[in-house]
Amino acid sequence: MGMNYLFIANVCIWLGVGGYVLFLARQHSVLERRVRQLEIIDAEE
Amino acid sequence: MFRIYPKILMILACASMAAMAVGQYAIWFHAPEEATMGLVQKVFYFHLPLAWWSFVAFFGVCAASAMVLWTGREHWDVLAGVLAEIGVLFSGLALVTGSIWGRAAWNTWWTWDPRLSTTLVMWFVYAGYLVLRSADVGGGKGAKVRAVLGIVAFLDVPLVFLSARLWRSIHPAVLASRGGGLEPEMWTAVWINVLAWGALFGTLVLARYHGAGLKRRVEAALIRIQEKTLQ
Amino acid sequence: MITSSLAVARKDLRLAFAGGQGPVQAILLGLLLVFIFSLSAAPGELFTPQQAMAIFWLCSSFAVVLIFSLLFRFEEENDTATALLLSPLPVQGLWMGKTMAGLALLLMCQVFFFPAALVFLGLDPGGDWAGLALMALGVDLGLCILGGLIGAMGHGQGAKDALLTIIVFPLQIPLLLGGIRIGVGLAQGLPLSGVADWFGLVMAFDAVFAGAALFLFPHVFRGE
Repeated sequence: MGMNYLFIANVCIWLGVGGYVLFLARQHSVLERRVRQLEIIDAEE
Repeated sequence: MFRIYPKILMILACASMAAMAVGQYAIWFHAPEEATMGLVQKVFYFHLPLAWWSFVAFFGVCAASAMVLWTGREHWDVLAGVLAEIGVLFSGLALVTGSIWGRAAWNTWWTWDPRLSTTLVMWFVYAGYLVLRSADVGGGKGAKVRAVLGIVAFLDVPLVFLSARLWRSIHPAVLASRGGGLEPEMWTAVWINVLAWGALFGTLVLARYHGAGLKRRVEAALIRIQEKTLQ
Repeated sequence: MITSSLAVARKDLRLAFAGGQGPVQAILLGLLLVFIFSLSAAPGELFTPQQAMAIFWLCSSFAVVLIFSLLFRFEEENDTATALLLSPLPVQGLWMGKTMAGLALLLMCQVFFFPAALVFLGLDPGGDWAGLALMALGVDLGLCILGGLIGAMGHGQGAKDALLTIIVFPLQIPLLLGGIRIGVGLAQGLPLSGVADWFGLVMAFDAVFAGAALFLFPHVFRGE
């Protein structure tokens, strides 16, 4: 039973941290793409 | 001011991953199994660093907020928001692991441990702080309002801890003791993991801060384009 | 500064009652909460002193939110906030005045909450209620000190000031715990010395946040 709780605790931690890292990675890629698009538009203007 | 060079971030990320790997080895292979609680005691090696670094994050929010009031510079406000976000994540995970540990060890999901109770209250306070940030409460003086909240929230920490400790003294039946002293190998595992989670904490802070910098660049570019269009 | 703060408090109390409302909204909300909570017990079932005191302080907490929302709304009309800031009154004096007015209004609300708690929640009137009243003043002061600072943050925010409640309530927890334990202790016949440690905590809270508010209030009200 103790092993089950240990497993659940581990799952929660790695899901939590991993989820946040994925959120950061996605945010960065979206923002970097947007920055590149805007810099192109800015140069064209 | 916001630019974090991707190479530095990559190096830090790799270093923190390596540190976490060493930490995991220390938990599962180096530290012995605890005599009373058995294997489930190993949750402690995650729970303690998460709780400690969340408090470091909350202290950082207070310090950055003080810098906002002193210097008026925007990047301190952004840093406060980043630290609050990671603090809420880490304290949330500390609460979940603490609750699971309590259930496994003492058959109760919640013990009125003053440290756990303080962490819960701080989680509520800083989650509220993040909601207020996203709702842009304060308008034109938003940065000042957020800074005052950041300072006031941390001033409450010792008071919450003392009140939780006094409160618990009337509930001796649900006292949660951490058990006896730790073996030297266990202390080694604790300190390795504290450092490993610290490296991860630093990486996450810098990565999030870099994201905030990217967002500022997007906003600045939009303003420039708009100004050129209007001319 | 005390004289000018009292003038601000008098002005606010006059304005609060001039509209015919005063703390009516806060009183009604508190009474409603007491009644609704009383429904959680089966007919004939009594609340423990701890439950009754917790509900009493929760009502007071909600009342503080409404009271300070009202007090800071006065300066939103006709840009009177700027007039006050331009006056010789120190900004901290404005906070003190608001706090004093808020305390007076909160005490008026509690005059109604307490009998409601006796009637609906079965609070035993046999304890040291004079001692409780004295110590409750310390808790009320803390609620108002925090209310004054947070209320200033919500000033001029329209509906967004309601969001500030999500941070006010967790910050108040040491005070609420203190108020509950003091009330329970005195209801059970403990002497004042028996709840001295809780009263000490409440006074520490008041001191820390009064100091913080004196320093931080100008930043949120004036935006300097």
